[in-house]
Amino acid sequence: MREETRREAVWQFLTYAFILLGAILTLVPLYWIFVASTLKESQFLSSTSPRLAPGDSFFANFQSLQARENVQFVGHVGEMTHYIDLGPFYIAYDFWNLWNMGAIESSIFVAGVYTLLSLLLCSMAGFAFAKYEFRFKKPIFYAILATLILPIQLLVIPLFLLMSQLGLTNNYWAIILPWAANPLGIFLMRQNMRSIPDALLESARMDGATEFQLFYKIALPTMKSSLAALSIILFLFQWNLFLFPLVILDQGKYTIPVAINQLVGAQRVYYDQIMVAATLSIIPIFVLFLFLQKQFVSGILAGSVKE
Amino acid sequence: MATRDSLSGTEPSLRDRLRFARQSVGERLPTPGEGIVGYLFLLPAFLLFGIFLAFPIVYTFYLSFFRFEGVGNDTLLWIDTGFFSYRLTSIADLRFIGLENYIAMFSDTLFHQALFNTTFILVVQVPLMVALALLFAVALDASFVRLRGVFRTVLALPVSANLVAYSTVFLLMMQDAGLINYVLTSIGLPAIPWLTSSFWSRMTIVGAVTWRWTGYNMIILLAGLQNIPQQLYEAAEIDGATRIQKFRYVTVPQLRPVLLFVFVTSTIGTFKLFSEPVIINGGGAPLDSTITIVQYIYQTAFIDFRLGYASALTYVLIGVVSVLSAIQLNVGGESDA
Repeated sequence: MREETRREAVWQFLTYAFILLGAILTLVPLYWIFVASTLKESQFLSSTSPRLAPGDSFFANFQSLQARENVQFVGHVGEMTHYIDLGPFYIAYDFWNLWNMGAIESSIFVAGVYTLLSLLLCSMAGFAFAKYEFRFKKPIFYAILATLILPIQLLVIPLFLLMSQLGLTNNYWAIILPWAANPLGIFLMRQNMRSIPDALLESARMDGATEFQLFYKIALPTMKSSLAALSIILFLFQWNLFLFPLVILDQGKYTIPVAINQLVGAQRVYYDQIMVAATLSIIPIFVLFLFLQKQFVSGILAGSVKE
Repeated sequence: MATRDSLSGTEPSLRDRLRFARQSVGERLPTPGEGIVGYLFLLPAFLLFGIFLAFPIVYTFYLSFFRFEGVGNDTLLWIDTGFFSYRLTSIADLRFIGLENYIAMFSDTLFHQALFNTTFILVVQVPLMVALALLFAVALDASFVRLRGVFRTVLALPVSANLVAYSTVFLLMMQDAGLINYVLTSIGLPAIPWLTSSFWSRMTIVGAVTWRWTGYNMIILLAGLQNIPQQLYEAAEIDGATRIQKFRYVTVPQLRPVLLFVFVTSTIGTFKLFSEPVIINGGGAPLDSTITIVQYIYQTAFIDFRLGYASALTYVLIGVVSVLSAIQLNVGGESDA
């Protein structure tokens, strides 16, 4: 019996040690991003005695990052060099003229617009597939389903040609529109909306609700948790897009990944500046993750659903 | 007059009554105009899907049989109403070359190098990461572990890291004078040329990708573990099974579909690897030893502007990934049965 309890203790100790080691290894790079952003380059890039605690150079590094000519990482007030140009919607954004958008704002803006647009399109399409009968419903659905297995971020060559012909190069629509009808989103919304009882819709119809009211007054409110999970999937998808923005966006419109790529590919790589950029682009999403952990987890699990 | 109107307003029409009657016996009747409404809800998504997904899928295949000779300039359609004019041009200037692009792949050493690098990273990284994710999931699932939620949060944190931004940290840590070499030398080990030797630079990518995705897979595996019926463990305990035996004969077989899913998605992810080698190895350094397939496609298409050949490469990649995805879907189907 005592032999057994001792073995149990050893086992528990090993398990804790393993988890702790994993947690430490996970946190070290994160800690290091933060610490390096607050130090001078010579303080942390040293094989003999790097400083491991935070310093006070964050603002100095931030200012030198902002002074870079080819990359505007965070926006600033000043003479307009870069504004949000969403084609026909340009005029609506004209009042932003005072604020020069940087890569951070661009990324948040693009991912936000993408998420909202895609949520609307996917849930409308999902609603149509789940609750209506129409000709060619099955073939259309299976065509969309089939693209689920394709790496859709890789279809950039025709997209590049298409965007050139549509005059959308260096325009944020070029990175929003191609994935707005997200196949995974349509599939998820269709699966979830099938659980809405037909009788509920039918009785609302009897009360004189229009079909669109059925959608946004009855269907959407019951889908809150699915919509939350899907919006995390969509936001992170756009947030991490690198290949096509790299191809289609020019200086002044960079999103975070492209801006960081410019910093890394420069003649002289300033790690302190890059770490400020990395801190600014990683930490906000971490905070979001801590608050919306449940939605993140259900987003990951929703993304791994199988038919 | 007024009474009559209000009466007919509240009284259901014959049509409605009929519908109600049919419904009450369980027959579903299409609402008037339902066919069109369905199309209307679908239309916006369908248009974007057609233009930006279905068309590119077909057009990439089409392009792979051509040599790209410039952006199209031929007028296909020209509407000029006086108020506005619209000119639709052809998409690209192309010359048909048949299977030449596909044949060229056989003698393209850089493509072979990219295939080799991707496979190398795949073979090392995927088993390592899945094993780690499984061990963390099982450890966190153990009943005696306290602060489970905290540990799970910490291990899952990298999920939220921007793919490009996190890569810069590995670029920094793996420098010759970086943090990792400092730790190695201070405990008496030799420094490792993480970014300048072709073997170790691949290992750097393996490490970075493992850091970013282990927590993600752990979450999926944890959900899978929670679906294993507790009775199986109890039965194994009655039979006197040890922890390792329970893991070997209950956990792993029960988790098999989820494990396969994780394996296949990670494999697909490795085939799509792009951000990490671009940022950490500056696009394939040293000596193209870390160039990946997607990165090679990017270079061929947008630096050399050989769009036809790049399309053929894309299709080979899409073929590989689709086969893998099909396997994944089949595995999923199996788990439902």
